[in-house]
Amino acid sequence: MKNNKGYNLIILFCLCFLAVANVNAQSDWQAPAEENEKLSPFLFDDDMVLEGRVAYENSCTSCHGTPGQDDFTPMSPPPGDPGAEAFQAQSDGSIFYKIKMGRGTMPKFEDAFADDELWNIVAYIRSFNEDYKQELPNMEGVVIPEYAMRLSFDENVDKLVVKIFAEEVPQPEVSVSAYVMGTFGKHLLGKAQTNELGIAYVDVDPTLPGDEEGKINVMVKATKGFARAKLQQDLAMAKPTERHSAIEGRHIWSTDRMAPIWLKITFFVSVFGVWFALLFIVFGLRNIKKAREEA
Amino acid sequence: MNETITKGHFSEEQIDKDLLKNVNWGGKFKLWMGFLTVSLIICLYYYYQQLQNGLGVTGLHDYVSWGIYISNFVFFVATSLIGMLVSSVLGMMKVSWVRPVARIAELVAVAFAMVAGLIIITDMGRPDRLLNVFIHGRVQSPIVWDIAVVVTYVVISALLLYIPMLPDIALCRDKLNNVPKWQQKMYKSLSLGWNSTAKQFRLMNRYTRILLVLIIPIALSIHTVTSWLFAMTLRSGWDSPIFGPYFVSGAFVAGCAAVIIAMFFFRNNYKLKEYITADHFDRMGKLLVLVALVYVYFNINEIIVPGYKANTADAKHVHEMLYGHDSVMFWLVQLGGLVVPFLLILFKPMRKPLPLTIISLVILAGAWFKRVLIVVPTQLAPYYPIQNVPEGWTGYSPTTPEVAITVASFILVLMIITVLAKLFPVVPIWEVKEDMNHKNN
Repeated sequence: MKNNKGYNLIILFCLCFLAVANVNAQSDWQAPAEENEKLSPFLFDDDMVLEGRVAYENSCTSCHGTPGQDDFTPMSPPPGDPGAEAFQAQSDGSIFYKIKMGRGTMPKFEDAFADDELWNIVAYIRSFNEDYKQELPNMEGVVIPEYAMRLSFDENVDKLVVKIFAEEVPQPEVSVSAYVMGTFGKHLLGKAQTNELGIAYVDVDPTLPGDEEGKINVMVKATKGFARAKLQQDLAMAKPTERHSAIEGRHIWSTDRMAPIWLKITFFVSVFGVWFALLFIVFGLRNIKKAREEA
Repeated sequence: MNETITKGHFSEEQIDKDLLKNVNWGGKFKLWMGFLTVSLIICLYYYYQQLQNGLGVTGLHDYVSWGIYISNFVFFVATSLIGMLVSSVLGMMKVSWVRPVARIAELVAVAFAMVAGLIIITDMGRPDRLLNVFIHGRVQSPIVWDIAVVVTYVVISALLLYIPMLPDIALCRDKLNNVPKWQQKMYKSLSLGWNSTAKQFRLMNRYTRILLVLIIPIALSIHTVTSWLFAMTLRSGWDSPIFGPYFVSGAFVAGCAAVIIAMFFFRNNYKLKEYITADHFDRMGKLLVLVALVYVYFNINEIIVPGYKANTADAKHVHEMLYGHDSVMFWLVQLGGLVVPFLLILFKPMRKPLPLTIISLVILAGAWFKRVLIVVPTQLAPYYPIQNVPEGWTGYSPTTPEVAITVASFILVLMIITVLAKLFPVVPIWEVKEDMNHKNN
């Protein structure tokens, strides 16, 4: 009996906690005022929406479902549908802050995504709101430099060399992130900052498998304040790799036509050999009939 | 003391009379065949249902797609292997006591091998597409190898039953005047004008010898290939390099038991006590002990090697067998169906006809369930967990149609054996005579 009472208390406590947590989550999660007013330094374009979608589908769908479909996982507190009105009523800064910092069952994505990647997700979420007009920061008097980027590979030190200019002037302190583009998404190669000569170096593992000439598709992003540039290019900086089909040539797992020769020979020689012997006997039965008269 | 051959008290006429006695269509036979036919028709109704509604009427599903049909197939192939052991291996070693029971072993082999092929068809949802296996089969597939060897084995076994029987068919042709006309005609054409000339005997012996040699690799490969259907996959419980010899040794256990049961039946119903003697049972019992010992040895290997290493999937499989979900059946089959029976047969009184037959029945039943244990549990433990599927798919239990169709296969075997044993003498008459003459001289 004593034990039972204890259990009852625990259950009651849990229920209360859940109820409180529920109410809290729905009403009380407010981003700090400063964060709330934060605006995206990037203009939400299709490119950002597309990248945001990939990130969202990898990291958010399992709880929040597909935006606009109301198919989020039933949890307490409910994660909510990012396409829904209540969700969209928040400011860009608030959504950004909540993804970045997390709370309770909502994970903290600060370490998983860089700021620009977080903004991609916000751009994706906003793409479900037809009435949304992006509020851009006041840009009066701010000059946004237009970056030009040049990529090369220094094979002496195995480093990707990124040079950033604006109107032929090298740009220092620009954040650079380089990615290898794969079939199913991009893989971070490394991050760096440009030096006073406008040059950033990113380490490259020379054993990376490239194509037959060692080329690999690289994407480099550069950001500093509102300035932003992106360049995708094939660079010969990986190991030349010849790709073979897993079932190339004659193979036990391939089609009948491509069966190993030793197997075909073994199989058909055995089968025909045995049947030849059997037919020899079956036809030989006539000899038994012929031999009925003693010679 | 060799008492396996009749003691020489009988004249040749007496032997002819005794051994040809069973070739008739008596009332008992008609009653038995009637019973079998009615049962078969009932079972075939269920097969009609399966043809109409597909494999949905069975307990098979996406995970367990090989249920008791395939277990039964493995069992049938296994049982049919005894023909090779008795008539070929022992026959060529000139082990003379097997000669009176060799034909019974061959009957068992032919009947089980013939029906084994049919069982495969019952496991197909679209049997009308059977031909595709031949047209589009890949030579790399063990299924194609299996079809090739099963068909070959049926033909070899049938020839091995038929060719050494030629003198006896001729005897039927000459002595049986009161059988129906079609039967006389059949004996006439089947006997190939047998006239017991020296050349005919020479040819017969030559062909028989070729077959006896051929059947050894074919019989070994039929069951090895059957085991490869499983062993060539990566699934825990099947992924085992000793599956071939493991299956072959198990086959001899099932086959020996089946032959002992058939021997007992023929001995009592056909009044052949003087020809199939208690000594035959004693020796078959000893043979059963030998093959059972080999099988026990393989069973120990099959469990202790993966169990000792305990890599995750295999450990789970072994655990399920030893203590888990399948443990009751496992221990019943291993102890009740194999170890205890063979320990019992070690004692001479247990090798008397009746006790040995009862023990053989238990062993045969155990052998059948052993095949289920080999086939089903592995499929219920895939590497990817079974999830997001109907609840019934986490287990397997055969449905009534499935059981009925499986029973039908046994009925077919009994029918084939019954009819063949009524058309031809079950004990080779000319060999018994030859042995006796040899002894008397």
